[in-house]
Amino acid sequence: MRVRRFRLSAATILAALGLAACGSAGGGFAGLEGAGSTLVAPLLNVWQPEYARSGGVTVSYDPIGSGGGIEQITARTVDFGASDAPMTPAQARACGACVEIPWALAATDVAYHVGGVPNRLRFSGPVLAAIWTGAITRWNAPALERLNPGVHLPPTRIVPIHRTDGSGDTFAFSDYLSKVSPSFATAIGHATTVNWPGGIGAAGNAGVGGALAGTNGSIAYIAIAYVLANHFDYGLIENAAGRFPVPGLPSISAAAAALTAVPHSGRGGISLTDPPATAPGAYPISTFTYVIVPRASRRGRVIVRFIDWAVTRGQRSGPALDFAPLPRRIVAADRAAAAAIR
Amino acid sequence: MDPSTVPAPDRLRLTGRFGDRVAEPALRAGSAAAAAGVVLLLLWIAATVVNQSGAAVGQFGLGFLLHQRWDPVHGIYGALDDILGTLVSSLIALALATPLAIAISVYLTELAPPSVRRPVAILVELLAAIPSVILGLWGILVLGPFLADDLEPLLRSAFGWLPIFGSSPSPFGVLNAALILTIMTVPIVTTVTREMCAATPPELKDAAYALGATRAEMVTMVVLPGARRGILAGAILGLGRALGEAIAVTQVIGNADQFRVSLFAPGGTLAGQIAAQYQSANPGLGQSAVMYLALILLASSVIVNGAARLIVARAARRSGSA
Repeated sequence: MRVRRFRLSAATILAALGLAACGSAGGGFAGLEGAGSTLVAPLLNVWQPEYARSGGVTVSYDPIGSGGGIEQITARTVDFGASDAPMTPAQARACGACVEIPWALAATDVAYHVGGVPNRLRFSGPVLAAIWTGAITRWNAPALERLNPGVHLPPTRIVPIHRTDGSGDTFAFSDYLSKVSPSFATAIGHATTVNWPGGIGAAGNAGVGGALAGTNGSIAYIAIAYVLANHFDYGLIENAAGRFPVPGLPSISAAAAALTAVPHSGRGGISLTDPPATAPGAYPISTFTYVIVPRASRRGRVIVRFIDWAVTRGQRSGPALDFAPLPRRIVAADRAAAAAIR
Repeated sequence: MDPSTVPAPDRLRLTGRFGDRVAEPALRAGSAAAAAGVVLLLLWIAATVVNQSGAAVGQFGLGFLLHQRWDPVHGIYGALDDILGTLVSSLIALALATPLAIAISVYLTELAPPSVRRPVAILVELLAAIPSVILGLWGILVLGPFLADDLEPLLRSAFGWLPIFGSSPSPFGVLNAALILTIMTVPIVTTVTREMCAATPPELKDAAYALGATRAEMVTMVVLPGARRGILAGAILGLGRALGEAIAVTQVIGNADQFRVSLFAPGGTLAGQIAAQYQSANPGLGQSAVMYLALILLASSVIVNGAARLIVARAARRSGSA
């Protein structure tokens, strides 16, 4: 009896090891494995069952942050990486023959938590830059009062929250602030991790949400899906046309529609932040989020099918999660880029 | 025991030819390999850290330790803010945990009724078994709000003229991290201190009483001086624990890029910065700079643990010769 039980358990362990080995090596495992952006994670959560239902393979996804996604696809430990920031030239060199394809369109919101302050406070780009560089420290600062006439603002100290992990939200936000504030551009610049001169840091959009909820007087940049899911108060940000569009599908789509040219497929990022004044309804911190895959890999054909589905059928699931559908021109460029993957 | 009932080594060897030829060499080789494996693994890890940090060490030299900025955009990296954050949070934890541990040890060895001693000792040790991520959650949900709403405003109104209490209260900050680290180090320091207090020779205690000492005098003049080295060693072991803690600290310290004098302000630590950055650092110099942080942390942990061991060994030799 004893012996038999031991044999059974040994067989179980062997089987488990075998499964684990297949999963990690990607050899016998039919699914796709990805990692990266936390911004796109809610969309992937919906895509996974939908793609499986429509006859696709199992897709697993690990939301470790955009920087981590680039790192993992560079090391080829996953089949695809997801990043809200395009790769830097150094990262692209390290990744070797990698293609980055914009596959979802979203926005980074500015959310805040201040007792006694209503939702949809108005901000401008330079004011946001001043808050995150520590030049504006109180909620009743004259610059904020000028933007919000008639709103009573308390003298509470502002606590800006930033991401500690390499993050596409950080990229989009610092990219935007660099465009609207020359002093921000020279002192801090834009990247997935920058040197913030103050405030508190938290990991991932979920971590930022936690810090925001727990700190009175705090303000954070955070993916739009997390703002709506947690009912945070969010700001309206002045665009180049001097309007304050509500962050949401129409204003994000307006930003994407303002794109004058679609860059060469599969290389380099497309910045949607601070769209021109010719798009009066455009939200100023809209951002593409990218899937990064090797130009050639053993799983190439499986990857192509998934990306093709994601940029076409997959886009239908976006609006419920505040991902705007990709503009047609981008979809066409994406499919062309995907078709070149081997 | 009658020597004839104890099997002599020679007789054991005779129990089987198989054991002689195969089992014993196998045992010898297997156990030696296991021991060698651990040593090699340690060297391997150290070599990896040294190797991977090479580019940053070459680029920044020892100036890395004194440079404040951590700025991936401009390729500037320095460890001073994280070193200061690590030292301040760990030393505060130590300063709070050591007296607490001494008090608990004296209570458990000298004052508590025997029925209370074991349960309390076990509970104190269980404190060390709480996973640090859960302790960090408690820090976020319970300790943080208490600090921001109650303790920090109180400290600030009383001692606000001191720079260390000089900024506005915040649920995330160095003080929160230091208190969480205190909870983590108390069981470590207590365990060593209690052993040392319990090892006080009863003759010495009786002698103190015979000379007319009160219990308090006996504790301060006999038990604690005897346990001095043990307390020191326990404190240093606790320091090693506090220096290396990453998860619970990043959960509550606020992860600011700059070190501030005020304990209420957010800060960062070496371990926390490594945990936050290792997956997303820029390839090349950025990753190497993170490994340089790891090198600093590894070196300080080795030094701290080595010092603790040295003190314990010397204490053991003294009590052995006494």
